[in-house]
Amino acid sequence: MTRQDLQVGYLFSSTGSYELVARSMLNGALLAAEEINASGLGIRFEPSVLNPGGDLSQYSALAERLLERNIRHVVGCYTSSSRKEVIPLFEKHDALLWYPSHYEGFESSTNVIYTGAAPNQHVLPLVEYLLAHHGHRAFCVGSNYIWAWENNRILRESVIARQGSVLAERYFALGETDFPQAIEAIIEARPSFVFLTLIGTSAYQFFRDFRTACRARGIDQAREIPVASCSLSEPELQAIGEDAVDGHLSSSVYFCSIESPANLRFLKAYESRFPEGPTASADAEASYNAVWLLARAAAAAGTDEPRAVKAELVRQHLDAPQGPVWIDEQTFHAYLTPRIGRSNRKARFDLVSEARAPVQPDPYLVHNSARFEAAAAPSLRLVS
Amino acid sequence: MTEPRLLQNFSGGRAIVVTDRASSLDVLTTTLDRLGVTTNPADIVGSIADIDLATLQPDRSIVFIDGDISDGAVLPLSAIGRLPPAPVIGLLGVSAPSRLKALMRAGATSFLRKPVHVAAVYPALFVGINEYRRHRHLEALLEDQERRRRGRRDVVKAIIRTMSECGIDDDEAYDLLRRRCMRTRQTMEDLCKDLARSSDGQEHGEFVLKKKLAD
Repeated sequence: MTRQDLQVGYLFSSTGSYELVARSMLNGALLAAEEINASGLGIRFEPSVLNPGGDLSQYSALAERLLERNIRHVVGCYTSSSRKEVIPLFEKHDALLWYPSHYEGFESSTNVIYTGAAPNQHVLPLVEYLLAHHGHRAFCVGSNYIWAWENNRILRESVIARQGSVLAERYFALGETDFPQAIEAIIEARPSFVFLTLIGTSAYQFFRDFRTACRARGIDQAREIPVASCSLSEPELQAIGEDAVDGHLSSSVYFCSIESPANLRFLKAYESRFPEGPTASADAEASYNAVWLLARAAAAAGTDEPRAVKAELVRQHLDAPQGPVWIDEQTFHAYLTPRIGRSNRKARFDLVSEARAPVQPDPYLVHNSARFEAAAAPSLRLVS
Repeated sequence: MTEPRLLQNFSGGRAIVVTDRASSLDVLTTTLDRLGVTTNPADIVGSIADIDLATLQPDRSIVFIDGDISDGAVLPLSAIGRLPPAPVIGLLGVSAPSRLKALMRAGATSFLRKPVHVAAVYPALFVGINEYRRHRHLEALLEDQERRRRGRRDVVKAIIRTMSECGIDDDEAYDLLRRRCMRTRQTMEDLCKDLARSSDGQEHGEFVLKKKLAD
């Protein structure tokens, strides 16, 4: 068999405010490349690893550097703002960005393959779960960018449609760690749950401070005002620290606690290759899946030419750590299996809910949202 | 009249494309398909005159008109708001004032530049359709105001007659008529028109007016 050398770029912020998750993504991608090189698939990966350091302006400069070296495939980006920063470059060079993270949807670029969860695979299942099990009064706290804005809109519309209410929405700059006022407001409002879209170090600090403030007032935070997130993963649980690690809800398509032969194999290989961590996460698994899907499609196409790879990609089915994963040929997003987990004191998630089968991605919520935006409740006042 | 809610999910929509370059529509039709909007081959036509107007639905149809064709045909526009029977989105090749003006005259409420870019389609639908809905709402408000303006003469007449017949001032006369409207679930203009028409003689008219107001 002729060996095909495939140059690929890895663009992950292994330093900066969300470095923990990005490092686990890089690890997932590196592990997949090593497995592919040893697999006899006929593909040899040569990853070029670049680190934008969480600095938005560095993403386009580094992506340009990779593309100018005629690299046609780049796996990377975690935040939506970084993805949107580099997409024009991929369109200009007609290359493919393999985006391995959950995101808020409403996008389907011809030059992006989305292997993370679309909103109907993480936000909507979490909203359903929260409304069914914890009540209809939400308090939203998030990082001030598109991830939080759009997820909060989806939550707000679902809550209003069920005669619930969003008590407040508070936004903070990326990396902000000063939350006492917001925490006071939450405790005063006593919502059914906090919907958290803070990311990175901001989120870890919030979890610690909120637990401490509730404890000081005799409130069992995890039971009385649970915090729910669509991005909380295992490496982040470790970063929160053992005092505040348990009782948080997370919606994801992958948790380390999935008991399947494919996941046990993945975890064993990951932990043996990266004993210093960070722990595997949903985004690490999405990166691992992205690289494997790229390798399979390129091997089938016999070339790394993006159009040929895309044509073969939709024929690939992966026995991924989370279960079967394949790419939808209409949207180039992945079929994935939604799950909800509750964190425990071992910095892992106990599964509390799981879809029976992989769910079709619906990035524009064409099949999963009302035709019209939710009508705000009329603001009536007592007149007599 | 309630402000229309924003339409954000276009699933179930039907696109009609007016162009003489059907071969260059791949990106548009593929993206519309992802958004749940169907484009049947029969709905890609070469001229506005080829559109079957009877099948256009203001809440489901979306008409894309290529600004680079100029065959003189136009969609019928409403009398007050100059609105087409369904939302129109202009496809722009040349952004010259003459082309922009032609598309605006055709009722376009948003534009898509050619070649169409995937990421531009959802925003064009969102703005175009919701602007069209807002214009229709404003048109309905205008129609209502126009109807009320036409009925103002009857309202003035009814107030003067009520003042004269009941010996009350204009505010009291208005209140009396207003209460009657509420009871009979009529607009002020319709009630006053009804009162004016029912008086076919001064004496008979007085009787009708007093009796009706006393009900």
